[in-house]
Amino acid sequence: MFRTEGLRSNRWRQTTPIPKIAYLAGWVALLAVIPVIYILIRALAGDPELWQRIIQTRLIKLFSNTLLLVLTVTAGTSLLGVSMAWLTERTDVSGRKIFRWLLALPLAIPPYIGAIVHLALLRPRGGLISQWLEGSNLAFIPLPNPTGFWGAAFVLIIFSYPYVFLLSGAAFRSLNVSYDEAARMLGRTPWQTFWQVTIPSIRPGITAGALLVALDILAEYGTVALLRFETFSSAIFVQLAGRYDRSAASILSGVLILLALVILYGELRIQGRAQFTQIGSHWRPATLIQLGKQQIWGFLALLFTVLVSFIIPVGLLLFWSTQGILDHQTFSGMQIGSRGLVSFIYNSIWSSGSAALLAVLFSIPIAIYVVRYPGKVSRLFSRLSQVGYAIPGVVVALSLVMLVNRFLPFLYATPLVVVMAYVVRYIPQAVRSSESAMRQLSPSLEEASRLLKRNAFQTFIQVTMPLILPGLLAGSALVFLSSLKELPATLLLRPAGFETLAVRVWIWSEEGFYFQAAPAALLLVVISIIPLYFLLRRESIFKQ
Amino acid sequence: MLHKLLPVLAALTLILSACAGSTSQPDPISSNENGNTLSGKLIVYSGRSEPLIQPVLAAFQAKYPQLEVLLKSGSNSQMANTLLEEKANPQADVFITTEVFTAHALSQEGVFQSYEPVGYQNLPDAYKAGDASWIGLTQRMRVIMYNKDLVSQDELPASMFDLTDPKWKGQIAAAGSTNASMQAQIASMIQLVGQEQTEAWLNGLMDNEVTFFGGHSDVRKAVGAGEFKLGLVNHYYYYLQLAEGSNVGIIYPDQATDEMGIISNATTAAIIKGSRNPNAARAFLDFLVSTEGQKIFAEGNYEYPLLNGVALHPDLEPTDGLRKANIELTQVVNHFDTTFDLIDMANLP
Repeated sequence: MFRTEGLRSNRWRQTTPIPKIAYLAGWVALLAVIPVIYILIRALAGDPELWQRIIQTRLIKLFSNTLLLVLTVTAGTSLLGVSMAWLTERTDVSGRKIFRWLLALPLAIPPYIGAIVHLALLRPRGGLISQWLEGSNLAFIPLPNPTGFWGAAFVLIIFSYPYVFLLSGAAFRSLNVSYDEAARMLGRTPWQTFWQVTIPSIRPGITAGALLVALDILAEYGTVALLRFETFSSAIFVQLAGRYDRSAASILSGVLILLALVILYGELRIQGRAQFTQIGSHWRPATLIQLGKQQIWGFLALLFTVLVSFIIPVGLLLFWSTQGILDHQTFSGMQIGSRGLVSFIYNSIWSSGSAALLAVLFSIPIAIYVVRYPGKVSRLFSRLSQVGYAIPGVVVALSLVMLVNRFLPFLYATPLVVVMAYVVRYIPQAVRSSESAMRQLSPSLEEASRLLKRNAFQTFIQVTMPLILPGLLAGSALVFLSSLKELPATLLLRPAGFETLAVRVWIWSEEGFYFQAAPAALLLVVISIIPLYFLLRRESIFKQ
Repeated sequence: MLHKLLPVLAALTLILSACAGSTSQPDPISSNENGNTLSGKLIVYSGRSEPLIQPVLAAFQAKYPQLEVLLKSGSNSQMANTLLEEKANPQADVFITTEVFTAHALSQEGVFQSYEPVGYQNLPDAYKAGDASWIGLTQRMRVIMYNKDLVSQDELPASMFDLTDPKWKGQIAAAGSTNASMQAQIASMIQLVGQEQTEAWLNGLMDNEVTFFGGHSDVRKAVGAGEFKLGLVNHYYYYLQLAEGSNVGIIYPDQATDEMGIISNATTAAIIKGSRNPNAARAFLDFLVSTEGQKIFAEGNYEYPLLNGVALHPDLEPTDGLRKANIELTQVVNHFDTTFDLIDMANLP
């Protein structure tokens, strides 16, 4: 848009000065990487003796625990997500259009709320299911141990699969039927066709989703802490609540970030390739597979998934909420200091809202720069701005506490630091949305505006902005949704009196006060559904 | 582009910091020292389980409706870390801890300012700082609670060290290493029985597959529900669970003459140096050790009030007959680093 004629003539661009937008984009990229660099420096500056002790006592176990969980959950979400997408996109199973919606809704439930419900149902002897079994003399039926590795893996799979479901659903939908037909004509069975043609062609979609899940699992704190399976994130949190020294926490954070950067690098590479799922003009949708008598099994699989991942958790939260609100004592227990539920809702909404606004605002220069001035530097800036994906909330909190207290003490202990944490952590989502919105916009419109003597800023406000607005809104909805659910950074950075719904849910349920926690949890889910609904309506798999 | 966007950004930042600033601005201090006209904000950091501190906050708030009482709670050591970080830029007015060691350590770091609340002389010397930088509020005992449906009288453990007996494998619940009462118990044990025995005890707990929860409320509920036979808790968690109708019992451990005695500790309160609302902070400390404040802890939480003359909860057993461990405050504080070393080495969650 700004001097877009530069795009047309390479020779001209080589002599042109650096566009102003590059400076803005550079600032944003710098802001995004400062926390990471700071933590890495702190980690490397750690006492070698401490490094040695950590390597000897903790590192191997944390590494294997974390990797095992990441691999299991990634595999599990891929399997569940792709099966659900296949059933709802490629088969004639009944109710598939409603299931498409229901299967995406768990995105409104943060996994730690899922973990709370899971524990409340399955705790040996104390859980609702366990007690019911005992009450009906069925106590001999063995129940799985809800905590530990399998508990954590189960909960995380159940509440993370929608990422893979949505991405592979979109990939299934854009598949061209002619490939399948060609394979069948060459004598492949439907089963062979599925594995040799269908799966390879949706693989970029699955992989992109799976790697996003992997990054999420690395960052997950609430679920693993509650279900007592120690990973890097929860170990760092414990360190922060331990001795009066941040070195050990910094070292563990440094190692965790390196691990996450490796995954992010893979994700960024795949993401570039996944964009090639273009739909040509001769594209025809694949015909649905007739399940016939097997239909009932497909239907049951869908129903079971939806029950476990959405209906049961929300139902239980509803039940507890009613109990909590009806019981006067519990209800008055929802007061913290002189603040009550209304203030928790208000804090949640305004902090997530500001984060969404700022993240999108900051993402615009990056998007313009990388799309209108493609090149090594702009791509580097774009990638640097996505580093936030690889910084778990605990680490963001740790680095912001140290950075802000040292360099911006007047900001310390204000809710603004919480907002900063959200922006650092979730700006990648905004950058991706803004970039893809910019890519869909032809530069000729901006050129026309410039020819009509509008300056760069006027062009942006009058032409570019209105056209990319839907994309910007989608980005802000994503950031809003993620910030609303964010737990560890909020927990560590919040000033006194600044309680969000997520924090309240966590503190109450950590102490086992489910009736108090439930209304806040339910509100969190309900508020999350609003941006989620807006986002899902944009997804191709919900358009028909 | 840059210079045109900058004012917009600056304006936005200003608006945001205006919203944000409302909690960070210094508060106007009421000039009336003794009347009910305290105003502004009272920021309380607390390491205590929220439900146990909220009633006293609510009562204080009711007394001074002009005042806004703000609570930030977390684990003791997490809040202590925060206070140390904020030393140059203090945010809180009052800190409430679950045990005396953290208070003592922070006092040595110069985080607190001294204040002798009304009735200071009626508090026992053992539970207040020499320089009045912190005061004890209530006393608590480390006990073992058990589920009476699952454990019979004759097989009860009698000592903390019995918890490492393999016959309890997988049957014990306790609070994890982030819990200050647990940290304090480990630090006390290092002083009482030495580092080696404490380390062996911790390893024994790990070998016995003790389940470590985030807090004691979960422990007491799990023992009450029969999920575990034994729970390592502060005494009042037993009473809270009993009051909910569970069939639970209490053991005062290590009472034989050759044993270390029962480990006791106290909750404390202190005013932060640099408090922005010192009048409110002082009034709050006065309230905490007043008969009215102490009654709330005694009646609602089954704690032992430290103020002489405040009646115990009628169900609460007096501590007179108990053999208490001989804990040297200053010594134990010096064992803090060792405590965290042991926690790390035992891999206590």
